[in-house]
Amino acid sequence: MSEALHWLGASDAVRAFAAKKLSPVELLTALLARIDRLDPSLNVFIRRDDAAAMAAAHAAEAEIAAGRIRGPLHGVPVGIKDIIDVAGLPTTCHSAVLRDNIATADAACVAKLRQAGAIVMGKVSTHEFAIGGPSFDLPFPPARNAWNRDHHPGGSSSGSGSGLAAGFFPLALGTDTGGSIRNPASACGIVGLKPTYGLVSRRGVFPLAFSLDHVGPMTRTVTDNALLLDTLAGHDPADSGSAVAPRGHYAARLDRGVRGLRIGFVRHFHETDLIADPEVADALDNVARTFTAEGADIRTVVLPSLGEFAAVNRIILTSEAWSIHAPWLRTRPGDYGKLGRQRLMAGAFLQAGDLMAAQRRRKQMISEVEAALREVDILLCASSMEPASRIEDADATARTYPRQARTPFNVTGHPALAMMSGLSRSGLPLSVQFAGRYFDEATVLRVARAWERAAGTDRKHPTL
Amino acid sequence: MDTVLMEALARLAGLEKMLAEYPEDLAAAFESAIGHRDVMKVPEAPDAEPWPPMRAGEGL
Repeated sequence: MSEALHWLGASDAVRAFAAKKLSPVELLTALLARIDRLDPSLNVFIRRDDAAAMAAAHAAEAEIAAGRIRGPLHGVPVGIKDIIDVAGLPTTCHSAVLRDNIATADAACVAKLRQAGAIVMGKVSTHEFAIGGPSFDLPFPPARNAWNRDHHPGGSSSGSGSGLAAGFFPLALGTDTGGSIRNPASACGIVGLKPTYGLVSRRGVFPLAFSLDHVGPMTRTVTDNALLLDTLAGHDPADSGSAVAPRGHYAARLDRGVRGLRIGFVRHFHETDLIADPEVADALDNVARTFTAEGADIRTVVLPSLGEFAAVNRIILTSEAWSIHAPWLRTRPGDYGKLGRQRLMAGAFLQAGDLMAAQRRRKQMISEVEAALREVDILLCASSMEPASRIEDADATARTYPRQARTPFNVTGHPALAMMSGLSRSGLPLSVQFAGRYFDEATVLRVARAWERAAGTDRKHPTL
Repeated sequence: MDTVLMEALARLAGLEKMLAEYPEDLAAAFESAIGHRDVMKVPEAPDAEPWPPMRAGEGL
C-alpha cells in the first residue's frame, strides 16, 4: 500500500485497514509528511494538531487490530474548516477578531465524526467569517489552489477544497451560505455537497446567516461524499434549523446510473443570465450528452434568473450577518480585513422592508423550483462560469466570484453538489452542478456518481 | 452615490468609527446593498407570505 497513499479515498482506506494492508498510523504519517512538504506553498492549514491526530491514529490502530471498529470512518483523517468548533483548538474564522477564541466543545458535526472513528487533523483555511474572497490582510495567508498555486482555490471553504485536491486528507468539512462548499469544489476539482437545509446540524459552527447556512461533506470521490454524509446527517434538537427527516443510506446503491431519470438542464443560468466561458459551456453540454447516451431524458428547465436569486440571497445573508457582526464592526473595524468589512457591513444599509420583501420573494422562488422538480428528478446546471482566476489579481477575483449558479439552492434549501466537469486548456478544473428534491441527496449522489464513472474525474489529480 | 444618505444611515447604525477610519469600505457596502435591492422583484400579491412560514416545532 505504499504507492500514493495520499490519493487513497476514505472508503478504500477503511477497507485496507480491515484487511490489515494498511494502518491508520501509516496513512497519517504519509499525509503529514506530504503536508510538511507542500503546505508551506498552499496554506491549507491554519492550525495542525499532529500530536492529537497521531495519538488517535495509534488508538485506532490498536482498536482495529483487536476487532473493535468504532464506526465507518475509523482511522480516517479529516480536515475541519476553521469556523467549526473542535474542542481545545481555536476557532478563529480566519480573523483577528477571534484569534484567541478557544472552542470548549466539539461542534455536533465534529462529534459525529469522532463517533464514527475519524481522526481530526486540525483546522483549515476559510475566507474571513466565511465571506468575501482570498485576502492578504488577515492573520493567516489565503489557501492557494493545488492545481496551480498562482490561482485561488475558491471559497469560503478554501482550505478544505485545496487540501483535498493536494492529497492532504480524504475527507473535509465545509460550510455553504452562498456557495462556499461548491465554489472550492468547482475550483479544485473535488466533490462538494450542500445538503438540504437542516439535514446536518449547525451547532458549534460560527454562523454567517442563520437561514442560509449549511454544513456539508467535501471529498475527492462521490462514494466518500456519500459515506461522510451518512455520518453527518441526522436531527439535532439543539439546532433550531435542524429538520426532522429520515436519514438516507446515501452510500448504498450509488451505481444505479441515470437510465430513466428525467434531468432538467437549466441552460439560461450559463447561456443568458451569465455568459459562461466557452470551455465551461462545452463541458456542461458534454455532461448532458453523456447522460443522454446513458439513457436519461434531458429536458430544458427555466427558473428565476441568477441575478434575482443572488439579490435575494445577498439581502437575506447580509441582513442576518449584520445582526451578528454589528457590535464588532462598530467597535473593532480594524480587526476585520477589507473584504470582510465591506461584505459584512452591507446589511447596515438595508431596511426591514427589504428583508421582508426578500423573504417573501424567497418563498415564491422555492415554489418555482419545487414546481420544476415535480417535472424532473434532478437539475443539471453550471456552478462556476469560468475556472479559478489568479489569486493575486483582486479585480479578476471580484469580477468572477459572483459569476456562479450556486446561490439559488441556498435561497431554496435544496441539496446541490458541485464537481469536476473536465479540465480547461490551462489545466484548471471546470465544474458542473446537480441539484435535487428536498432530502433526496441519494439521487443527487447517484447522478454525480454516474458522471464520475463516465468521466473518470476521481482519477484526475494535480501534479505537485 | 448619495453620500448624505449613506453617512446618515451609517451613523444610525452606530458606524461612526467605521465612517472615520474606513470610509471607502463603508461606501462599498452601501453601494452593494442598494444594488441588490434594485435587482429584486418585490412580490405584488398582498398574500405572498415570507419564508419561512410559521410552523411550530419543526424545520423544513
